[in-house]
Amino acid sequence: MTQKRRIPRLLQLALIVIGVYFSFVLVFDVALHQLIPKSLLTMYMLFVVAGVMMVFTFTEEGAQELVGPIKALVEDPSKKMVRNIVFVIVPLLAGYYTYTKMVPSFEAPMELRTIHPAPPGKFKAFGKSFNLTTLENPYRKFQKEDPAKFAELVKAGGNVYIQNCQYCHGDKLDGRGPYASGLNPTPLNFQDVGTIAQLQESFLFWRIATGGPGLPAEAAPWISSMPVWQNFLTEDEIWKVILFLYDYTGRSPRSWANE
Amino acid sequence: MSSVNKIALLAFCTALFMAGSAAAKPGTAAKGKEIYDKRCTWCHGAEGDGGGAAKDRLNPPPRDFTSGNYKIRSSDFADPTPNDDDVFRMIRDGMPGTAMPGWSDLLAEQDMWDLVAYVKSFAKYEKPPAKQVEYGTQIASSAESIEKGKKLFEDGDRCVECHGKTGKGSASKRLKGDAGERTWPRNLTKPWTFRGSNDPKDIYTRISTGIAGTEMPSFADPKSKKKLTDEERWHVANYVASLAKTDKKVNAENTVIKADMVEGELPNTPEDERWEKTTPTTFYTVPQIIGGERYFTPSNDTITVRAMYNNKMVAMLLEWDDRTKSIPGDDNAEKLADAPIAEDGVAVQLPVVIPHEMKKPYFGMGDAANPVNIWHWKSGTKDAAETINLLSSKGFKEIEKRDAAGVGLKAKAIYSDGTWKVIMTRPLTTSAADKDIQFVEGKFIPVAFAAWDGSNNGEKGSKHTMTTWYWLLLKPATGSKPLITALAIAGLFLGGLLWWARSATKKPAA
Ligand code: HEC
Ligand code: HEC
Ligand code: HEC
Repeated sequence: MTQKRRIPRLLQLALIVIGVYFSFVLVFDVALHQLIPKSLLTMYMLFVVAGVMMVFTFTEEGAQELVGPIKALVEDPSKKMVRNIVFVIVPLLAGYYTYTKMVPSFEAPMELRTIHPAPPGKFKAFGKSFNLTTLENPYRKFQKEDPAKFAELVKAGGNVYIQNCQYCHGDKLDGRGPYASGLNPTPLNFQDVGTIAQLQESFLFWRIATGGPGLPAEAAPWISSMPVWQNFLTEDEIWKVILFLYDYTGRSPRSWANE
Repeated sequence: MSSVNKIALLAFCTALFMAGSAAAKPGTAAKGKEIYDKRCTWCHGAEGDGGGAAKDRLNPPPRDFTSGNYKIRSSDFADPTPNDDDVFRMIRDGMPGTAMPGWSDLLAEQDMWDLVAYVKSFAKYEKPPAKQVEYGTQIASSAESIEKGKKLFEDGDRCVECHGKTGKGSASKRLKGDAGERTWPRNLTKPWTFRGSNDPKDIYTRISTGIAGTEMPSFADPKSKKKLTDEERWHVANYVASLAKTDKKVNAENTVIKADMVEGELPNTPEDERWEKTTPTTFYTVPQIIGGERYFTPSNDTITVRAMYNNKMVAMLLEWDDRTKSIPGDDNAEKLADAPIAEDGVAVQLPVVIPHEMKKPYFGMGDAANPVNIWHWKSGTKDAAETINLLSSKGFKEIEKRDAAGVGLKAKAIYSDGTWKVIMTRPLTTSAADKDIQFVEGKFIPVAFAAWDGSNNGEKGSKHTMTTWYWLLLKPATGSKPLITALAIAGLFLGGLLWWARSATKKPAA
């Protein structure tokens, strides 16, 4: 036999579809740590199957090769055994699928929320208006100008943090404070590259001063347990705690200057 | 503690056991100081005296290392010196149920050994302990050993005095720690709150050494009237390990309270046997540190909820461990409580309008556009019976008190051995749809809870423990429709396939 052995076309098709399915699951669950909603996955997979079918049946032979094994299964008397098995399994699967679809689901509804919504241009806190595009941390300059003073400011920010924030965000700033597991959504992890390292200090100031209720609707303000800190802290304390967040995690804020 | 952690811990303990203290790399105190000054001073203070900025808002308070007290150690009861391994383990794994986190994800192993050296130096511990806890031969857990352990646990109120008959920590006296803080005897049915672990060997070690800085004594001390032999301590340890209550463990995946549909009358007491058949759902409760007057030192940590409904009413059973039954005016209760005592309480929060989409009322008592109903039960005083209050709230500044009886809201409670059980019932619908939630089966209804321990440090009003939103679902009866449809579909498929095969084989082969 000179002909190269190939994977049958039908099996190829199945392998591709399965491969794509697992890549989706892998990317979402493992890489992004976010469960992909079932309905979304089903829709994606429909597209994938349709697309792959189109490619596979593009030529006449391609189509023939694909349906060949299926036709043989029904027509070829030597495949009787396999046929009987398939004829039992397919209806059972169809029945099972229908059953699971019809039984009402008691799983909690998915709640998708934007974690970092676009901030407003202006916002009100401490009885006055702040312009987010020009707002800067008044203490940031001491990082270069006066490191000793800066260290003191960071320390003062650390004290604010440990007295107010660690319960939720954790004393390692990893979002796993003693009460974090009792909160949904969970407090954010400042060690993660996806949070404060991506943000400007003015954004943090807005988030801290106005808390969960200050969020726009797409971020689901009604479920966020992040307190409204203008009720408990001064402007000064918020700027200092922001210094501490960056200092402790060794990250730097995004700034207009670096854009 | 997750089972993975437990296995890791177990593996670590075994490793230590086999390697002895040879595994302890000598740390350098000077290097330890550098790390300590960045990571640990916030709580433990620059001088190691527990005087960090956090100290007033934590219970248990951050340890004062100058006191030399180590809760988790395996040295002989008479020698307060901890082994390096003991201190290392606490730094690495942290102390569950407290603000003390485990550091292994942020610090290298050598860093942690350096910290051990530095931390120990605050109490001038230089030499290793001269003697270790004696383990004799470990007795494997068995029904017989557990039974013996139970007897010893109860005998002369040995452990019961503090941990209560059922081990939930409903003490017969008020306990204090060395730093003057209120200490709560551990709830032994919640092993994930143990500072050490609930592995029998760990428990054996704790009852052998006692817990330094608290009133938990050593039971290996021959001078103690309640002394236990090695063998007896193994039985007690096996018994304590057997107390782990599983339906009060939080399963983070399970956020839906499923109410079963029942025929006939709903239960009207917490003791009704039918509750046993329902599915319990447990949530963590966290202290209210979000708005108004904040509250930092809770004593309650979970609430377990069950629900049922029929064609007229819905019933919820709320169950939570509370070490003290707080009845103002009652002498016994006053003795155990931090003055001033207040009533115990529990509350259920529900939206007035069941949301269609994601938007819900603000979880902290609703908001102006999205009001909530709050069903608030209070335990009553010596002279007044328990009460149930109905509140309509649009945020914590706009609360309207309403007549609970008017909408048919009722509650009834029992307290026993460190646990409250409160049943609340209400008709599914009321006459005021604009003010009261109208229950509908099959819909996911947001629900949240709060609890008050009136004996703990002035818990009252906005000072309480709470949850964020979860879900209540009146589970519709499934009926036989899905099964019949599924069978029909399977039949159709089979028919189709057979027909295809027949028509194909009839054709002359091409
Ligand atoms: C009761 C728990 C709780 C406390 C206390 C708390 N937070 Fe939060 N915080 C949260 C939660 C939950 C989130 C995520 C939800 C959200 O974005 O609102 C969050 C989000 C944030 C964010 C947004 C980060 C980002 O990447 O967008 C910042 C910044 C923040 N918190 C800072 C603080 C500071 C500073 C303090 C102390 C002054 C604090 N938090 C105290 C619960 C808390
Ligand atoms: C957020 C506050 C906090 C921080 C930060 C903190 N601890 Fe603790 N630590 C505690 C508390 C609270 C306790 C006491 C727990 C108890 O008594 O049950 C404790 C107890 C301890 C103990 C006593 C263990 C025992 O067996 O009794 C050691 C050792 C310790 N911490 C070391 C450290 C080290 C080292 C660091 C820094 C890397 C650190 N802690 C950072 C809060 C903290
Ligand atoms: C005088 C009161 C008292 C008595 C008697 C007592 N305990 Fe305790 N026990 C406590 C206190 C208080 C704590 C919590 C200490 C703390 O705050 O960390 C505790 C904690 C514990 C823990 C938790 C250890 C950990 O890793 O967190 C166990 C297990 C325990 N006790 C078992 C027992 C057993 C078994 C007995 C009887 C042989 C007993 N206790 C007798 C007061 C007592």
